[in-house]
Parts: sequence; C-alpha cells; structure tokens
Amino acid sequence: MKLFSFMRICLLLFLPAAVFFGPHARAQDVLPQGQSGLKQPVLVEAAMCEAIERFKPVNQAVVFSISLGRVFCFTGFDPVPEETTIYHRWYKQDRLISSARLVLNPPKWSSFSTMQLREADKGPWRVEIVDSRNNLMKTLRFSIVD
Amino acid sequence: MGQFFYQFFGIGWQGFLDIALNSYILFRLYVLFRGTNVLRVLLAMGVFWALRQVAVSLGLVVTSWAMQGVIAVAALVIIIVFRNEISAVLLTRDLKSFFWGIPRYQRNTPVNIIVESVYELARKKIGALIVLPLNQGLENAVQEGISWQGKLSKEMLVSIFWGDNPVHDGAAIIQGDKITNVGVILPLSKRTDLPSYFGTRHRAAVGLTEQTDSLVIVVSEERGKITLVKDSQVYDINDSRVFEKLLITHAGQDSAAAGVKKHTRELAAAAAICLICVTGLWMSFSRGMETLSTHTVPIEFVKSDQDMEIFSSSTSSVTLLLSGSRPLIRALQPDRITVKLNLANTAPGTRKLSVSRSTVTLPPGIEIKNIEPTMVEVTVDVPVQKRLPIQPLWTGQLSKNLIMTQATTSPETVSVIGPEQVLTHMDTLFTEALSLDDITASSGTMAARIALKPPTLRLEDQEKEAVQVSYIIQNRKAAPL
Repeated sequence: MKLFSFMRICLLLFLPAAVFFGPHARAQDVLPQGQSGLKQPVLVEAAMCEAIERFKPVNQAVVFSISLGRVFCFTGFDPVPEETTIYHRWYKQDRLISSARLVLNPPKWSSFSTMQLREADKGPWRVEIVDSRNNLMKTLRFSIVD
Repeated sequence: MGQFFYQFFGIGWQGFLDIALNSYILFRLYVLFRGTNVLRVLLAMGVFWALRQVAVSLGLVVTSWAMQGVIAVAALVIIIVFRNEISAVLLTRDLKSFFWGIPRYQRNTPVNIIVESVYELARKKIGALIVLPLNQGLENAVQEGISWQGKLSKEMLVSIFWGDNPVHDGAAIIQGDKITNVGVILPLSKRTDLPSYFGTRHRAAVGLTEQTDSLVIVVSEERGKITLVKDSQVYDINDSRVFEKLLITHAGQDSAAAGVKKHTRELAAAAAICLICVTGLWMSFSRGMETLSTHTVPIEFVKSDQDMEIFSSSTSSVTLLLSGSRPLIRALQPDRITVKLNLANTAPGTRKLSVSRSTVTLPPGIEIKNIEPTMVEVTVDVPVQKRLPIQPLWTGQLSKNLIMTQATTSPETVSVIGPEQVLTHMDTLFTEALSLDDITASSGTMAARIALKPPTLRLEDQEKEAVQVSYIIQNRKAAPL
C-alpha cells in the first residue's frame, strides 16, 4: 500500500527561481524565519491546483473532481538560504497516505507533488507542508468529489 | 412488606402466604383428628414419605418404589378403615369448629352432678347407662335415640332412668353440661370374657367403648353397683373419689389450670411442627420446580479513578437467563439484579471486559443459566480538550465550468473534549456532508453541523455545533491538463 502510494506521488521540480517567480508571485502563507538562527526557506506560495503550466499552478481550488485523475500541491520558497529539504504530507481525513520529500536549492525554489486519484479517494484531504525539522509551515485543505 | 420478606428470607410474600395457609390447614387437620387413630396413620404416612425422600436422594430405586406403594395403601386404609372417624369429624362439627374452634375435652361437664346422680341411681337400684363422648362422634356407633338437649341436673338424670320413663332402657348421652340424647341404643360387645353377672347394659357399654373413645357409666339395676367402662376396660366403682377422679381425667379437667396449660402447650407444639413440616415441604417443592426467566439488566460501571471517563460501550445492558423456583422468579424485582463491571486498574483505551457470574448480583435461590453478551467493549480514557480546525465535507459534483477556490468555516476552529487517545491522533473536525449539486456560479454561505466522530467526542460549547461555511466560486480559466 505504501509502495503503491509512493508510486502515486510524482515528485518534481527544482526550477530556477528566476524563471519561476515573477512579479505575480503570491505569498499565501509565510512562516517567520527560524528562531534558532539557522537559515530557513520562506514559503511564499502554496496552493492545490488542477495542473502546473509553465511552472505556475493552474486552477487553484479547494474542490476537485475525481474525473481529473490527479491533483497537484504547489509550493514556492523565497529566499532559500541553503539547500534544504521539505515534505508534502498527504492525508485523507486524518490518515497519512503519502509523504513526498522535496529538495530546495538557493536562492529561491519552487516544487510540487501530485497525487493520482482513484474512486476510493473521494472525501476530505489535506496536505501538510513541513520543513526539515518537522515544523509545520502550511496546511492546505481540499476535497475530492464526484 | 414483600420486599422485607424477600430481603431477609429470600422468599416472596406469596411464599409466606402459601406456607401460612397450608400450615393452618395441617394444624386444623390435627385438631380435628386429634386423639383418633387417623392421626396416627397420617403420622406414619409422613414418616414413610420422609423415608421415600431419603431413598430417592440416595438412589434406592426399589426402596423408594416400595415406600410409595406403602403410602398409597395407607391412604386407602385411612379412607376405608377410618371412614367412621372421618365422617364423624366432618358431620358432627359446625363450620366454626371445623375452621376455627378448638374442641376441648368436656371442660364444663359438671362431674359432681354426675357423681351424685349416679350414686343416687345406685342407691335406688335404678338401672342406668350414661355415655360421655370424647373426640369421636357416636353417630355411626349408636342407633335411634331421642334428642333431649336438657341441662344436666341430678333430678333430670334420675328421672330419665326412672322405671316408668319410656326412654329409661336406652342410654343417655352427656356432652358438656347438657344431656343431648336419651333412649340411645348402643352396640353390644361380642366379648366372651365378660363376667356372667354383666347384663345387657354392661355389654352395651363395653361394645361402645370398643368402637369409640367414649366413657360409659353403668348402674346395675339388680346389684345397685356402679361400673365405669373406658377403652374396653371395666372398672368397678367403690369409692366416689376414685369415680370422680376418673371422670375428671376423662373430661380433661385434671388440675384445672395445669390441664389448660398442658393443652395449650400441646397445641402450640403441634402448630410449630405443622409450620416446620409445611415450610420444609414448600422449600422442597419450590426448589425442585425450576423456572427459567430472561431479564435485561443495565450494566453498572464502577471506576475508582475519578479522572477516567467512559466514552463508549458496546452495550449498556446484558441479558441474563435466570433459573429458580417459580415463586422466587415471579417475585424477582428488577432492582434486585445488578451487573457491575469494575474499571479499577483498567488502562485508558478500548478494553474488553468479561461479564461473568461473579459480576452479577442476584437474590438467594436464583441462578444464572446464561449471560449474553459475555464480553463488553468499553472505551475509557482521561478526557482531554483540544482545539481543532473544521473542514467542510463536500459531496456531489460541481458544474464543470466552475471551480471552488476557497471554502472557510466560521468559526474556523472549535474546542472539543474527548478521550486522550482519540484526540491525540485527531487533527481535523469535518462538517456533515455538504452538497455541491445546488451551488451555482455565485459565491455564498451555508450552515452546516459538525460531525462528531467517533461519538465519544463532544464540543466544549454544545451550542456551536452548527457552523457557517463560506465559499467562493469562479469560472474555470482553462481546461486542465
């Protein structure tokens, strides 16, 4: 099951920040820099979307039809002081379905993970975005419907 | 009252009434048949019955069978052989004496009048035959006779046996202080050992005492002698004091107060024996007749840790199949049955507790045949409070040209109370299902209730169970990939 879930996750992108972030980049939820003094990446954009086109989320939404086949979780960080790792943890209701490990590179970076949908996946979901120290940076909630 | 009996004796009020009623019936039988051979045979039957019970309990098949036969034969013997005594008891007594009164010996018989009269008759050589009945009736032993019902006096008695009196040849019956019958013909004895000088009067006296417990006084017409006959024994009377003593003994008046005391003691002992016998019988029967009954009893959970709470239980009651005697089962009150499950030393979480016989408390005499269910799954935990976000639970289908870009609830979070083990692993509360089918192009709000699952959860503020869900709908910009 875990293997299957893992296979359903497509981990992507380490894109040049200059290409990815333009003037329209939107910070939905930003965590302050770590109090410990260590340099942490700053989350400036996080969204659930139907697709990624030209490194941008398309049709950001909170309700997705199962007929779409897959759903994407997009996150953008600026700045990224040093190479680090973040995780996208996909939960259906409160059950962890899968965890995607994503590597961020300086100076800024965007990444996404995706989940392939099956009939049984209908219901409430959430994706938790956590840093390498397991600090919760953002929770995105959405539903898979008919 | 019934509860009192039940509490202390394990017998319902019906049991007490049953025992009391039958004890009284047995006591009445004793009183009515006291002094007769019927009672002796009944006692013998009781002994045989007890022996049969012992034989049955020991598994002595032939002995118990034989005892049963003897009892059956004894019952027939009582009816056939003692029919006279039985009919005398049943016919000669009125309802009051049958159900309530206690027949005494001839308490009020004026013995001195009888003695004086008899001596007067003897002195005048007037033949006389006087009968003093005891317990057994005379109806089946004597013939004819004329009802007299006159108060006893010396003159009256002497005049009855006066030669010119038409009834002087028969016997006079004295009951209490009354002459009840005169001219009564008594049965003659067929004994051959009687003295030759005994005439018809003597033979009749002996004949009656052979059949009854009466005392008969005979005054010889030829010799002027007094003879007393009791239990077929003939006593020649030469001393008036001896005569008087014999009469007093027969009448039960010996030492007046002492006699009453003795009589009372005898009756009290008989009543106690009747009560013991019937109680024993009742216990024997009631224990033997098993009755089954099904009772649904609520479970009482006993917890020693006040911080612990029961959040759920697979069942709140158990069904008990109980057995016991019919009176006990019928008198069984629901509040007398308890099922207590002890939660002391039970670790937090969902646990399976066994419902065994030791967890059930029953009144004495009742037994458990079956318990259903035998296991109860109960969730116990320390209640904790946690603030959780609320997420709308969407169902249905949104129009293909629309997308829902945002959905928020107001309030966004609520405080919920529940088992620590449940809430530790819980990060979201969901609303009840909200249909997308009716949502059109416009944004809006709708009311929704929070679905508390598992049901062991409860909101800190119960009034906030309903939340407002606001949503934003936009047209789809482009077809998805």
